[in-house]
Amino acid sequence: MIERRRVGISECLVARGPSVLITYGLGSCLGIALYDPKQRLGGLAHSLLPSPPRGAKRVKETKFVETAIRHMTDELTVLGAEREDMIAKIVGGANMFHLLHTRPEDGVGARNVRKARELLESLGIFLAAEDTGGDYGRTVEFDLATGEVRVRTVRSDDLLL
Amino acid sequence: MPLDRLSEGQLDALKEISNIGMGHAATALSQLVGDRVDLRVPKITIARIGEVPDLLGGAERVVIGVVLQILGGARGNILLIFPRESAFRLLSVLLDREEKGDVLNELASSTLREVGNILASAYLGALGSLLGMTLIPSVPLLAHDMAGAVVDHILIELSRTGDQALIVETEFSGERSSHPSIKGHFLLLPDPLSLELVLQAAGGVP
Repeated sequence: MIERRRVGISECLVARGPSVLITYGLGSCLGIALYDPKQRLGGLAHSLLPSPPRGAKRVKETKFVETAIRHMTDELTVLGAEREDMIAKIVGGANMFHLLHTRPEDGVGARNVRKARELLESLGIFLAAEDTGGDYGRTVEFDLATGEVRVRTVRSDDLLL
Repeated sequence: MPLDRLSEGQLDALKEISNIGMGHAATALSQLVGDRVDLRVPKITIARIGEVPDLLGGAERVVIGVVLQILGGARGNILLIFPRESAFRLLSVLLDREEKGDVLNELASSTLREVGNILASAYLGALGSLLGMTLIPSVPLLAHDMAGAVVDHILIELSRTGDQALIVETEFSGERSSHPSIKGHFLLLPDPLSLELVLQAAGGVP
């Protein structure tokens, strides 16, 4: 029986395959999966906002896309992953209510996605796949044995990244 | 104000004003559906933000949610959550025709948004006159999706100021002997900065 572990809102988990990390019901939040295929080491975060407020002293790192990516990269490195081998997949960042942000690119979902793309690029981590945007919720299942990310929605069939 | 430091007196004051507000909302709903609407006593939960979807039955549970922002003297959000079957039953009563299926059509969506608007306006009107402040609901937003995805923008908003949410929750059900009942949850999530204002106005003893 393969272990399945749940990643809650503003949390992250890192683990070694075989093991499945799951996070449920992402709306404008962003699910970030990092994976080192050689070591079968991976991490999944469920982050709420792009970056910590300026000047904030003590913040929960995994609440923010920026600090969550740095935090997971560090944790995976400690476990033996190599930065240059890591790949990333991101899921979520929707704009659930059109009226809330009539220009979706201004919404928090889109800002989360942009922050992740920028930071991954500057860290030299390859963004291998993404399923982001839209106006619907997503659940992510990240299989650490294969690196496969399964995206479940209410509306359509599962998507494999 | 750290939410877990609220006193019993303050929580009781919140429950009491919410009870009165919800009473008005239930009257409105009962007139709308032409049936009796029963209310549970409001429950106040202070939870970590990450636990909120579990309080709605789980992050992946498919619900129909109507969200309204509270504008005026205090800020926050109102969330009306219907299990899918209840929403379709409510629509069948209101539109006087069988509403089924998986997808909400335009008429069904706008009817549910209007229900949200009527309930929230009745609730906030009563709350506002008790507290001596103007409280009005924003345009209602509707989503038919996983509960986690429906609420996460509210949680994101709350997470800017802290890691906890205060939720005033009332369960209501419309009874009609010939029909299965219609159930729903009415939730008030005050903005933590506004909570202080509300408590002052409510005269809750610290």
